[in-house]
Amino acid sequence: MKKILCLICCLVAFPAMAIDGTQILEKVDRNLEPESYEAYRQLIDIQPDGSKKEYVLYTMKKGRDKVVALFLSPPSDKGRVTLRLGDNMWLYIPDVGKPIRITSLQSVTGSIFNNADILRIDYTAEYNVEAAEEKLDSILLSLKAKTGEVAYDRLKMWVDKKALLPTTIEAYAASGLLLKTLHFKNIKDFGGGIKRPATLETDSPLYKGYKSVMLWAGIKKTNFRDEVFTLNYLPRIQELRK
Amino acid sequence: MNFTQRQWLLVSLAFVSASAAQAADEYSFDASGFEKKPFELGGYAQIKQDHFSLNRNGAFYKLGYFGDPQRESLDRSTATVELTGKLRGGIGTFDFHTHSDIQHDQLANSSNNVLYEAAYSIRPDPGMTLEAGKRTLRWGKGYAWNPIGFVERPKDPNDPDLAREGYGMVNADLIVNRDGPLQTIAFTPVLLPVERNVNSDFGSTGHLNPAAKLYLLYRDTDIDFAWQGSGSRPGRYGMDFSRNLASNFEIHGEWARIRNFVKPVTDSLGHSTSEVGNATSYLVGLRYLTEGDTTYIAEYYRNGTGYSDEEARQFYQLVDDAFIQQQQTGNSALFQRALALGQGSYGRPNPGQRYTYFRAQQKDALGIIYFQPALTAMINLNDHSYQVTPELLYTGIKNLDLRLRFYALRGSRLTEFGEKQNSNRLELYARYYF
Repeated sequence: MKKILCLICCLVAFPAMAIDGTQILEKVDRNLEPESYEAYRQLIDIQPDGSKKEYVLYTMKKGRDKVVALFLSPPSDKGRVTLRLGDNMWLYIPDVGKPIRITSLQSVTGSIFNNADILRIDYTAEYNVEAAEEKLDSILLSLKAKTGEVAYDRLKMWVDKKALLPTTIEAYAASGLLLKTLHFKNIKDFGGGIKRPATLETDSPLYKGYKSVMLWAGIKKTNFRDEVFTLNYLPRIQELRK
Repeated sequence: MNFTQRQWLLVSLAFVSASAAQAADEYSFDASGFEKKPFELGGYAQIKQDHFSLNRNGAFYKLGYFGDPQRESLDRSTATVELTGKLRGGIGTFDFHTHSDIQHDQLANSSNNVLYEAAYSIRPDPGMTLEAGKRTLRWGKGYAWNPIGFVERPKDPNDPDLAREGYGMVNADLIVNRDGPLQTIAFTPVLLPVERNVNSDFGSTGHLNPAAKLYLLYRDTDIDFAWQGSGSRPGRYGMDFSRNLASNFEIHGEWARIRNFVKPVTDSLGHSTSEVGNATSYLVGLRYLTEGDTTYIAEYYRNGTGYSDEEARQFYQLVDDAFIQQQQTGNSALFQRALALGQGSYGRPNPGQRYTYFRAQQKDALGIIYFQPALTAMINLNDHSYQVTPELLYTGIKNLDLRLRFYALRGSRLTEFGEKQNSNRLELYARYYF
């Protein structure tokens, strides 16, 4: 009886010890998407006057840090492919005919979403958890970039306690400047055990009045050969789609 | 609560419910319309207007407008259509890229229809592709120039991103991916035959012209080794690299050596000789992105096949003297010799030996998304002549690109940009993608 009382006291007295931020972040990664998958995404840029520009991308990911995104629409961008291998990113434009290195802070679409957002790899691949703080319905994770190559130096991630999915992420520069806020919405069951937000909205104090939205469809677990994630394969990526 | 209040409440509730439903539906996305199709067709149509301020003292004006009415300026309208398509069947894919344009100016009307690419490829395995047909291969990491672009037509440094016509060839792509510091190995062998009606502008006929490129991704650095065997052109080999030093800072370089390169050289009297020797070209460059979204590109290019300042001056002097002789005596023999040289290697876009290229491009300038002003400068470091090109690009209208560019070419007499055909050029185009 004394042992049980002691255990209860410990659990009551040290609730913070029950939170393992790294473990939560790993679960967030896997709940957001399988380690290897294919998906379709629509990016919508909304300007202050309400006008929109839309992009559709076919995305493939393998492992923690290999991602390819093929532009299917609009016609001006159709056939463009972006590849990410860890910290390395390339853009292939059909007319240019060869991949050029791009940086994570650039945006191939010109929207608030930059390349790091469009070619996102696992959070655990890029960030260490510095602190995990329990809130009423959520857990606040404070993340610090593992290297200077990462697009955002720090992230504040609010994670839904029950679903273990992010609800809001604030992205900061090394100077402490808030670069953008990401809002995850509309949790949807995509089948195959994948239940995640289907909508991601972002706004930025640097682009007042502008908003960008990313919508997900057709996410499914798929395994790809490693050769697909190479520069030489980029002109032929679209042949992989069913 | 009276009846009117209740009505208002119901109306308000209905409005709130409708708004909520609309908000939920606002961002619905159905991907079924984007599945792969057996046949795809796309491309763009473009209308371009150019105004040229002609450089009547320039050597290339004299060569280009010989026999034509002399002009101070020229206005040219160009309509262009480029079509790209794919036809899929079984394990193979046939793809094509066509270019058609019609030009009109005060002197002439002309039209072009060129098949840029048309090739059939099969992929028996993700690591292997076999291809035959007309294909544009682009080798090298340079933005404005590519010393190792051995099996391609040279790019226009004024518009390096423009599509170009390819060559008929058979090629393969073999890719191996592995764990460890050497992540990727890719080998691209090429056979480029040259006959009277096939690739005849590549070089002398009757050769098969083997070439190959080996790509390595080693410790986050792209490295290529390229080779072209001697045949229609002298043999050559080279390498390039590209690497990110930071997430916003990339460096790249190229190096190429051509064996027994033949360079026609003239003096100001029109005495031409052919110099034979090994030529080494190289390029180093960087790309840097600031926190304010300004991209800087800078390159230094050493053109081993180019002309020294003195060699170029001799040619420009020859054109001047030949033009005067033709005007004064009516004898055009010397002028025809100068014209032939001007249509050859002296007339290349950048015939000099040392250049620097600089480009600054601002994304979303003045707070306007999709508005990109840019400034490009190209300097001939031998004769200090230069070209400066400010431009405005707007891509905010669906499927439409609008670009305004102004080219200012400056240089003293007997220098590259001082002897070009025009001294200024204003260009405006609207390109619609479909």
